[in-house]
Amino acid sequence: MLTYIARRLLTLIPMVIVISFLIYLGLELTPGDAVSHMIPPDAYGSMDPDRLQELRESLGLGKPFAVRYWIWISGVVQGDFGYSLAGGVPIADIFLDRLPATLELSFAALLISTILGSILGTISALTRGSATDQGLTVVGMLGVSIPEFFFGLVAILVFAINLDWLPVGGRTLPGYDSFWDRLPNLVMPALVLSIMMTAGVMRYARSSMLDALSRDFIRTARSKGMPEWRVNILHGFRVALTPVIVLIGFRLPVLIGGSVIIEQVFQWPGIGKEFVSAVRSQDYPLVMMVALFSVLAVLIASLIVDLLTAIIDPRVRLGE
Amino acid sequence: MEHDVALTVKGLKTYFYNNNRCNRAIDGVSFEIRQGKTLCIVGESGCGKSVTAASIMQLLPTLSRIEEGEITYHGPDGPVRIDALDRGGAQMRSIRGKEIAMIFQDPMTALNPVYSIGFQIKEMLMYHTGLGRRERHDKAIDLLASMGIPLPERRVNEYPHLYSGGMRQRAMIAIAMSCNPRILIADEPTTALDVTIQAQIFELMDTLKRENGTAIMLITHDMGVVAELADDVAVMYMGNIVEAGPVGTVMRNPVHPYTRALLDSIPVLGRGKDQEIKAIPGQTPDPYDRPKGCQFADRCRHRIDKCDQMPPETQVSDDHRVMCWRYEEFASDGR
Repeated sequence: MLTYIARRLLTLIPMVIVISFLIYLGLELTPGDAVSHMIPPDAYGSMDPDRLQELRESLGLGKPFAVRYWIWISGVVQGDFGYSLAGGVPIADIFLDRLPATLELSFAALLISTILGSILGTISALTRGSATDQGLTVVGMLGVSIPEFFFGLVAILVFAINLDWLPVGGRTLPGYDSFWDRLPNLVMPALVLSIMMTAGVMRYARSSMLDALSRDFIRTARSKGMPEWRVNILHGFRVALTPVIVLIGFRLPVLIGGSVIIEQVFQWPGIGKEFVSAVRSQDYPLVMMVALFSVLAVLIASLIVDLLTAIIDPRVRLGE
Repeated sequence: MEHDVALTVKGLKTYFYNNNRCNRAIDGVSFEIRQGKTLCIVGESGCGKSVTAASIMQLLPTLSRIEEGEITYHGPDGPVRIDALDRGGAQMRSIRGKEIAMIFQDPMTALNPVYSIGFQIKEMLMYHTGLGRRERHDKAIDLLASMGIPLPERRVNEYPHLYSGGMRQRAMIAIAMSCNPRILIADEPTTALDVTIQAQIFELMDTLKRENGTAIMLITHDMGVVAELADDVAVMYMGNIVEAGPVGTVMRNPVHPYTRALLDSIPVLGRGKDQEIKAIPGQTPDPYDRPKGCQFADRCRHRIDKCDQMPPETQVSDDHRVMCWRYEEFASDGR
């Protein structure tokens, strides 16, 4: 198991290198460069081209593409993420500052959607064809098809403005730092962020559960004279769980992507919000690092999925 | 009484409902399973063999029910009317598994892949016996050993996918036999297995019958198996038992054209390659659009006008019965 994890982590390295190269290449291909972003457009037009060229040389932009990539990536590997163009803050500091907020939000949403989605999906499967099942199906379709920011705005309107139960947005107030103080701020964004995924997990858990219940071993379990709950939960749900775990794992990056919008709506000071402003202000060193971080999240999520499936399903044995 | 009767089925009718149509899957079936004997139920696919088993176990699918008839289990505490019990009720569950156990056609899919074999045996013991944790584990090992599984101490913790097909069916039998049931229902237990393994499994079942006095109801479509294992045989066709009796009588002196056709369709070793194998002409009728009278009439070479009416169950002798208008002619034709 440990050797398997080590080996998987090693195979991540070439993948990360290739992807980081693609990210760098993508930004290289966008029009303009650092200099054109640093100098206001009206001043840029009236500047002496030789002066601009000089500036480029001094920033190292005159070097060939591959060399510049090498300088960037070797810096990243050594922990030097570079500086944000807006304000010159080290990107590492921005990450340290913003990452916990994003992780907090994502994991809260992941937890809610996993638990709620599996339970509702199982109920739906067990009461197949009933009013409960049909009601949940409709709710699930709505959850999947209505965009999250809409839910977010409606939730703010209802729960924060009309009912005044929860704060409108933000993560914390000065002087109130404990998790419990922050909890009311977390509730709405986490719930809204989890809606789409809850609906997805629910639909998936339902079909996975129906599939499991139609298998022969369910009949065997019944023929043993065990009560129905044990047949359904221990034999049905346990087997239905594996594909659901895989789905949840692969949704993890979507969750981080989704939080970009939700962080905007709720003024949540996370990476996603930072990403939007970085793109807007063409702060490309920061954009690259956020993109790289998302890639890492995807890769690590898939590793976690593999490990979880191996734990849950005895037929999957790792590394042999 | 020479042989205790373990289970009586009388006039059983089980119907399936589908889009407001009714499939009379079992249409008046009666038989007995005798203690310590093997009853074979033979017939083509779709003739109601498995539905009979599911009716006895009360494991019918949702859109089907027992319409009429009696299923009586003669347990140690007196007779129990199984058909009157609630499907999922406590009393039915205490019979299912403990008194009447079942093994299924495909051992590849009948075991839960995410639990160890041991877990799946111990689960049964947990519900039907008062054994403690440790004792259950030991009993599971004993059971596997008695089923002829090598290294049971290690095998008990292994998962089904590490077992071969034959071993899985042995494990299934170990589960079924774990609480010493009075009746074992085997629904085509070897159809999915190699012929060599098939013989081993049947041998095992025969040993269990002799040693534990278990009554066996074996569902099969293989006349060869019937000849080998059965004490009694019931031939089913489209929801009826068309002929039933002790195996010797039925095999040696079959009086229903369908039984005869089944026997004729088996190649016999030693008769050479040119022997005539008579396939049964035609196909089984659509269960939703059955013939009015004898269900076999359309495929029968001996059809007469009277066959448009359902023939009654008639006793040929004390223990041999048939559903055919012309059985007397066949009984005396010296075959």
